[in-house]
Amino acid sequence: MSWLVLFWILLKASLFSTSGTGNLPILHDELLARGWATESDFAEALAIGQISPGPTGLWVISLGYLLDGPRGALLALVAVALPPLTVLLVHGLYLRYGAHPATQGFVRGLTLAVAGIFVVVLVQIMQGTGVDARSLGIAAVALALGATRRVPVPAILALAGLAGVVLY
Amino acid sequence: MAHGQLAEGQPAAGAPSALVFLRAWIGIGVQSFGGGSTTLYLMRREMVERHGWISDDEFSRTWGMVQIVPGINLIGQSIVIGYHVLGATGVVLALAGLLLPSVTITVLLTAAYATVRELPVVAALLRGVVPATVGLGLLLALQMARAPLLASRAEGRTSLAFSVALLTTSAAMTSFAGLPVLAVLWSAGALCALVVWHAGWRQP
Repeated sequence: MSWLVLFWILLKASLFSTSGTGNLPILHDELLARGWATESDFAEALAIGQISPGPTGLWVISLGYLLDGPRGALLALVAVALPPLTVLLVHGLYLRYGAHPATQGFVRGLTLAVAGIFVVVLVQIMQGTGVDARSLGIAAVALALGATRRVPVPAILALAGLAGVVLY
Repeated sequence: MAHGQLAEGQPAAGAPSALVFLRAWIGIGVQSFGGGSTTLYLMRREMVERHGWISDDEFSRTWGMVQIVPGINLIGQSIVIGYHVLGATGVVLALAGLLLPSVTITVLLTAAYATVRELPVVAALLRGVVPATVGLGLLLALQMARAPLLASRAEGRTSLAFSVALLTTSAAMTSFAGLPVLAVLWSAGALCALVVWHAGWRQP
């Protein structure tokens, strides 16, 4: 695994996302194609990212670590910190064109596409561990508990882990 | 939209010392358990309400701006606030304070996980945790799609239908047609830009 290529993929994914987990589709596409990551790596990194404090987008630091140790984590950190710096450059442009229908439309299209592809990625991650009545049940319960916003995410994941040990 | 300006080094209240500013960001960094909305809440409380380093209006306006800038929105927001309050130094301090605690904890958790990863009991745990992550991920996807879909609905039935079609087609193009994700994202963005502009959809 070349660290330069890994960094480039991480950077590209960050450049083409406008939210914390929006980088998932590109990373999933390119890292799986190269055989540098497995479906499980993504699931594990996402889970750790959900437990850790701070922006959800830091899940990618965990992914970097799982793939390439401390160096991978560092590459991921630089890759997520650089693209938002463009905010300092685009401020003038934003005042002029931010409200333009084409700008708004581009961001809307990008967000909708990411959301759609996100679901595809999740289905593939699910297939990676096996789809059966038990796993579908756990996913549904986690979704429902998460939607209530009353149960903390680490608690949901802990319950799910327990369910995994008991059921499998 | 073109009112107000993002002035460098002109905070609403007096400029803080580097140490005070860094400490405020570390506070945000260590307390933000529970994902992005907690972090944003803490940021507004510290920067706007407690210290008055940036006005409420400015905070909301920059939040709108970072939505269309590449990368994690919260990082963009902390960069803008840092620059606004203390210039380039402020950017470094804000990023360090926000990221160092959370990144350290993330790395430590992952390192700890990596050492037990091969244990059989972890494999069993994962068979439960992975589907739960997928369930929570679906929630994230819903939250992501919610704002653009609500905006489309306010613009009328055609706009909503177009947005739904764009979302499902993008998914289908990646899964069934196997197109590269980057190509699908570019096409979706460009197509939506043209259509929204040309159709002149407006929220009433």
